[in-house]
Amino acid sequence: MKKILALVAVIALVAFAAPAFAAANPFMDVPMNHWAYDAIGQLAARGVLSGYPDGTYKGNQPMTRYEVASAVARALAVVDMTKASKQDVEMLKKLVVEFKDELDALGVKVDKLDSRVAVLEEGVGGWKLTGEFRFDSRTTDNDNSTLYGVNNKWDQNTTRVRLHFYKQISDGVSFYGRFHGAGGDSPKWTRAYVDVDLPWEMHLRAGRQSIDWEDALYWVPFGTWQTDGLLTDRDGLEAFYLTKNFSMGQFGLYASRKDSAEEVTNPADKDYTGIKEHWEYAARFVFNFNEQFSLMAGYQMIDFENEEPGNTKDNDFATWYVEPQVKFSENFILKGAYYSQDTEHFGDKVVGASDDPSAWRAIFEVKQEALKFTSLWLEYNQVDAGFVTPNKETYKFIANVYDYAPLYRNYGYGDFMQIQNDADIWRIGAFQKWSDKWDTFLHYAKFDIDGMSPRTNGGSLVDNDADNYSIGFNYHYTPAVTFSLAYDKFDSDIEKYDDDMIHFRTRVVF
Amino acid sequence: MKKMILCILFVFLLSGAAEWAEAAADKRLESVMSRWTRKEFYAEKDTQGGLEIEITLYSAEYVEALIEAEAEKNLWTADEKEQYKYQLLKTLNLEEYVPFHFSFNNNGPSMHMAPFDKMVNLWLGKNKYAPADYDKRFNFKLQGRRDGMVWFPRYDEKTGKSLLDGVRTIKLDVSGAISPFLSNKLSVSFLWDIDKDNPGKLYAGRAASRLELDRLIKRIEKLTAEKKDLEDKLNEVNNELLTVNKRVEELQKQ
Repeated sequence: MKKILALVAVIALVAFAAPAFAAANPFMDVPMNHWAYDAIGQLAARGVLSGYPDGTYKGNQPMTRYEVASAVARALAVVDMTKASKQDVEMLKKLVVEFKDELDALGVKVDKLDSRVAVLEEGVGGWKLTGEFRFDSRTTDNDNSTLYGVNNKWDQNTTRVRLHFYKQISDGVSFYGRFHGAGGDSPKWTRAYVDVDLPWEMHLRAGRQSIDWEDALYWVPFGTWQTDGLLTDRDGLEAFYLTKNFSMGQFGLYASRKDSAEEVTNPADKDYTGIKEHWEYAARFVFNFNEQFSLMAGYQMIDFENEEPGNTKDNDFATWYVEPQVKFSENFILKGAYYSQDTEHFGDKVVGASDDPSAWRAIFEVKQEALKFTSLWLEYNQVDAGFVTPNKETYKFIANVYDYAPLYRNYGYGDFMQIQNDADIWRIGAFQKWSDKWDTFLHYAKFDIDGMSPRTNGGSLVDNDADNYSIGFNYHYTPAVTFSLAYDKFDSDIEKYDDDMIHFRTRVVF
Repeated sequence: MKKMILCILFVFLLSGAAEWAEAAADKRLESVMSRWTRKEFYAEKDTQGGLEIEITLYSAEYVEALIEAEAEKNLWTADEKEQYKYQLLKTLNLEEYVPFHFSFNNNGPSMHMAPFDKMVNLWLGKNKYAPADYDKRFNFKLQGRRDGMVWFPRYDEKTGKSLLDGVRTIKLDVSGAISPFLSNKLSVSFLWDIDKDNPGKLYAGRAASRLELDRLIKRIEKLTAEKKDLEDKLNEVNNELLTVNKRVEELQKQ
């Protein structure tokens, strides 16, 4: 409690930003040479601290929570809101939360204090800063494999720092930015956008942002590693994103222009060399019929430019998709998606691939509340050869499956990837939350891939199925500090891809 | 001896049946209550931890099941149960508001939800409403767990009509600005089919009568205040009328 008293004294002093004069200390038992003499004097002069009826302060006695609460209430009542700093306000808010019950019991109207604190926050600019830091240690079995992004047998240099900035600029206008630094890359703003509320329930988000319309299709309980969307999981997209809300639905559309930093070079067909810039347009409508059934329908067009002289082909492709979801109850959910793609104008296709590849995914999810001991995620995917995805991380869990050549073909357009062969993919996940501290997961994925195309395998068809097993746990030491340990194994028909990894991560958020 | 064994067996079966019935009743109540609770987990890819949001709508059916569950758990008498029901209904203020219980469990970057009433909206039919009241602790930076109540208006302020009339499904939107984990979603929605609400005996019994009495007393107070206002206004008008008449008489005499 003594620490808290010192904290209150410091906060109150700083928050008042009082002129630097030493107030006369009214308490006869505080020696003049004590470090807190002036502080206590100022607090007493402002009515924040009061002594005992006998004129003593009794600074050596432990303080009760009620006494601290009383001091907090008085401090808030006299705080100089025009001069308080962000840190002071944060500390005052913490104190109010900590002592809410005592303040209530003392008859102090916490609501009024809260609104006062909110005003204070407004007064100091309203910037909200949060962040995260993580540090990875990973070891793999196979030096040659790139599936885990670890070049050496032991890698512990993967440090990542992120800072989040948020500010409510005015009523209905806000800014969010995410500053990101990882490994040896230069730190950069990976997200920076402005949100504007428009009339008629419309909303505009403009800037570098993440747009993800397929997030219901990911297994997220173990947030670190997960499958991603085939189509619209687009991070770092510089776009105008407009939405219109209805009572039971939402209409959304975005337009983005991508100017690639690098020239595309395609040794297989010179006609594509130089093609880099493209527009991306997408629209969707989601409608909730009731709490049990919802349907999403969307369209995405990737429109490449073909500006180089002499080029005769372009690489446009478009995708229609629908995403129905049925909740049998809160704990049993069936959902899926069907994608139909038009790649007629997409050049340099996978040999034998049709111009209208399709893909579909069905998921049955059972929440932990139903089975009591664990949640379950059962997922089946079928994708045609030639299906193009603008997101190279699709089907990633822990292993970087996009580096598994039989499944994906790197098309050379940044994140754009093409499914190499017809593939069936099974995924089973079990996530169990034991307590607020512990959670564990088991994951299995089976990649049943048709024989590799003769073109990419020296003219012969080979089996190239693969299995991926994972097991791991998170330990939340506090809500701010998490330790994770995971083991992942990738077992392929092609020996060079066989690999396994042990991954230990330390993560701190604030 | 045989009788004794049969007797013991009978008691054993009876106790087993009672236990089973109790478990079944608990399960039934649990199932009713879970029907009105929405729980979702949000995480950002490549990031450990996550944000769990749990929201319960205090529908009549939920409140009824909650009272039953508490009564069974605490072995209350009928009187104690009525007393609890009265206190609960009074606290929830179902007569004026649509109450929700929010619970956040955040293992991600700190959440800043102030001002919280700008971060949540309730769609009732075609109209969107902000909270009428909420737990102010939601305005403070949050890591870990925090829960509290949020109340939305139930009646139209001007017309006094119920906003829930004719509404089958209600939607609660929570802004994505509350956490970096939700920033790519703009907002997240939770739906409840309120036409499936089946209150049964919630508004029956002594607690309900006491609540009605409270409401009527409040109504009397309000009407009395209105009456006083009107009387004051009438007095003012009468006084002005007297003054005007007096002046008219003076002018006529000139």
